Amino acid sequence: MTQRRNAATTHVFLVTLGALTVYPMFFMVVNAMRSGLATATAPFGLPNHFDWMNFVYAWDGIASAFALTGWIEVVSVFVSLAIAVLAAYAFARMHFRGKTVLFTAMFALLVIPGFLTLIPLFLEIRDFNLLNTAWGLIFPYIAGGQAFAIFVLRSFIETIPEEMFEAARIDGANHWRMFLNFVVPLSVPMLITVGLLQVVGIYGDYVFPSLVLNSTQRTVSLAIANFTPPALAPNINAVNIQLAAFTLSAIPIAILFFALMKYFVNGMSSGALKM
Amino acid sequence: MAQPRASRRQIALKTPSAQKTERSAYLFILPAFAFVGALSYYPAIRALVGAFTSWNGVSAAHWVGLANFVAAFHSGEFGASVVHILIWAAIGIPLGLVPSFLVAEAIFRLPSRRAQYWYRTFFILPVVLPGVVGILIWYFFYEPGGIVDTLLSALGFTKFAELPWLGDAHTALGSLIFMGFPWIGAFNLLIYYAGLQGIASEIFDAAAVDGCTWFQRIMRVDIPLLMAQTKLLLVLSVIGIGQILVQPLLMTNGGPGIDTTMTPVLFMYQQAIDYDQYGYSMGVAFILFFALMILTIINMKYFRTNANTPSNP
Repeated sequence: MTQRRNAATTHVFLVTLGALTVYPMFFMVVNAMRSGLATATAPFGLPNHFDWMNFVYAWDGIASAFALTGWIEVVSVFVSLAIAVLAAYAFARMHFRGKTVLFTAMFALLVIPGFLTLIPLFLEIRDFNLLNTAWGLIFPYIAGGQAFAIFVLRSFIETIPEEMFEAARIDGANHWRMFLNFVVPLSVPMLITVGLLQVVGIYGDYVFPSLVLNSTQRTVSLAIANFTPPALAPNINAVNIQLAAFTLSAIPIAILFFALMKYFVNGMSSGALKM
Repeated sequence: MAQPRASRRQIALKTPSAQKTERSAYLFILPAFAFVGALSYYPAIRALVGAFTSWNGVSAAHWVGLANFVAAFHSGEFGASVVHILIWAAIGIPLGLVPSFLVAEAIFRLPSRRAQYWYRTFFILPVVLPGVVGILIWYFFYEPGGIVDTLLSALGFTKFAELPWLGDAHTALGSLIFMGFPWIGAFNLLIYYAGLQGIASEIFDAAAVDGCTWFQRIMRVDIPLLMAQTKLLLVLSVIGIGQILVQPLLMTNGGPGIDTTMTPVLFMYQQAIDYDQYGYSMGVAFILFFALMILTIINMKYFRTNANTPSNP
């Protein structure tokens, strides 16, 4: 009897806190479909008619940002993972002088906080003449992803059974062959996990892009933070159009989240390795 | 079984390919080190060296020794920012840990695995929102006549319902700190949940046989056994709160009034980006970097000695 009552209390507790936790998202989606007047007079209300035009105006404001962000994400994450898994393989499976020192040096980057390199990195990009270009973000993102990716991938590659390497060596395979033939294929789930963390991190980054890019070229985070509705849009709906832009901006990560839920959970737990 | 494996390995090491291994390894790690060398080590070193210079970002920097540090320690603005971040940590760390822990406990206690799975998914749902969006929605909530005001007047606190939360010098910092109610973080929740899963079920059974109430079990069993998780989250919270920048940058830019929501990293940012004082900015970053490093080491040391009681793997 008490057992059942306890379970009921737990459900009430979780449902209440869960509702409060997702309320900002709920507010965002609901008011993206309402008019400015409705939001102002009844902020908690539900839509009585749907203002889909908000999304049309919002899309107009951020479409180019989606394209730019997509390009930056794809190049940064693919290159970053490719060179990280190479280095991770060497650290896990090869013998070379200075290995411990070099690995420690790479590992040490995990304790360097972002704010320390923020300003010098911006100055460096300026000196390379890469301001207002996608490369001004792509190169730093590739570098920034290395330490964590190498650390996680090396731990994973070390768990691949020694027997597989022995068998391959007997067949006369060199390191490059073993790397391509089975190490990379076996690492795919881990690469997806690490890649997801990178995608989400880059997508949410605001401060560094705000320094590197100007107002004509913007990533999604920049575009929604400084959102201005198109000139044609009705002024009274400005906030709703902005919320529609927020909603649109959440869709790419939401799709990844539902498609790759398992990797998300793994990734967030492996984030604990960061320390 | 073990013997042929060892001998085969030795043969492999003695063949000429073992010599080649050495050189190709450097090719494997070269791209990674080229990137981090140019875009991680170099800016980090530049930051640490630049802390001892005066530089406007254009003309040649010149060496000023410790002058930037002296200036920072005498600066009222920087001092205020340090006080703010200490207040932020004192309130924000418990807010970050306790609600997430309680929710992890509640989910873990549910008998149905399916229910556990769905609650867990539901609570981590907000990770799909870009961080900027989460902050700006709260900006709407705090606006005069927004959700916070409406809620307060509905609850009868009409006196507080008139406040411009982010625009008033008395409430702006508090509004930033308490943003994100009910403060359940997806990452913290998952860490605690995974920790609870890692505790052997025999321990819970034993506690049940001994007639432990749920409150006793949380206090005597769960909290001590989750010390490793708490320590990790504590270290990460100190590091995270120590470098808060985006919230005040987007919501208040350090104001209203004089520096009422200034944080050390925002101060560093403004000195460089708004005032072209790059040397001074790097000096502030230098101080902060070492302060956070020392705090982290103290954190880890203190908790290592205290967590020697039953710890989990």
